[in-house]
Amino acid sequence: MSSAREVIRDSPNVIVRFNEPHRIYQPRAALILRYSIEGIDNEKVRAVERSVLWYTEGKGEEDLGVHFFERLSDRSKPTPTLTAGSFSTQLPFSPLSYEGVIVKVRWCVRVRIFFEGSRDFVSEHVFEMGQIPPANTGGGRLP
Amino acid sequence: MNTMNSTNTMHTTNTTSNGVMPCRDFFDSRHFANPFSTRFTRPGKIEPRDCSGQPLAILQLLKQLHDCGGTAAIQGPHGSGKTTLLVHIAGELQQRGGLAASLRLRSWQDAPAVFFAIVRSRPGSTVCLDSWEKIGCIAGWLVRMAARIFQCGLLVTSHRRTGLPVLVESATTRELLASIVCQLPDHSRWSSSLIKESDIEEAFSKCGGNVRESLYELYDRFEHRRPLL
Repeated sequence: MSSAREVIRDSPNVIVRFNEPHRIYQPRAALILRYSIEGIDNEKVRAVERSVLWYTEGKGEEDLGVHFFERLSDRSKPTPTLTAGSFSTQLPFSPLSYEGVIVKVRWCVRVRIFFEGSRDFVSEHVFEMGQIPPANTGGGRLP
Repeated sequence: MNTMNSTNTMHTTNTTSNGVMPCRDFFDSRHFANPFSTRFTRPGKIEPRDCSGQPLAILQLLKQLHDCGGTAAIQGPHGSGKTTLLVHIAGELQQRGGLAASLRLRSWQDAPAVFFAIVRSRPGSTVCLDSWEKIGCIAGWLVRMAARIFQCGLLVTSHRRTGLPVLVESATTRELLASIVCQLPDHSRWSSSLIKESDIEEAFSKCGGNVRESLYELYDRFEHRRPLL
């Protein structure tokens, strides 16, 4: 088993800090995010991808859009620059977050860590864009 | 600038590589991902299993495929995991450089794309075709002839007999559905409170043994009970 898998088994912990306390953003708002990756051997990190994206979740076909993407893999820099950092982006007008029953639209910040040995780890951190009321899910009644 | 004051609440599920679930965090139960959504249950996301719920050995199946001359079929009823298995085998073939193309067939009109894939393939490589029955008898026969001429293997899924050697005869059972449900993200968090074993039994019966439809049924039940999370 590769050493990278051993790293992954140790459960990397991606700590994120959003600039909005409740993670609710308005369209065109600035999203500023700081993150740090803990619980890993820094020397085994080969690259980090950070992105802001939306996706649908439901029973049917999936849809996804990447709003912001950046890959850090500069070997010349010290490893800590890969395992901690910050970035900012201005959110678009749409799509707004929606918590439906059949389909949901979710925004998230995704941090993907690539280890040596072609292994990777992805951490997603949901936030809301807009404030569309959620659909009525039945109030907990059993079907 | 606003202060950075929203920290994460991590609920770790898994690592991700080649279709394994991502680790996610959420700050409200509303944002808890429905584990039965397509995102987690589409072919490629679920580990292929046999009707007893045991994982299938992909490498062993690749060897069997080779022994069959590179051409074989995965047969079974709707929603029994044929496409899931095909996706995993295709992924393994791709890693070994033996995958020529992977196509999902919708009608005989997809035959030109299949011919094109066969003509472009390297000898000894495999074209994976999902829903083989959709291509029809005549086009199917022509595709098989073309594959033979260009020394290309065919791995197909079908819910009918194909005349090709059978690599796997898939079937749906309650055990298979239960084992799939156990693989889904954050299983320990919702298995006792939201989706119980009786729900799995009921979904399986209601959907006539179709595992895919059963997962959709469980999706609905999860959504109805989400406030209880």
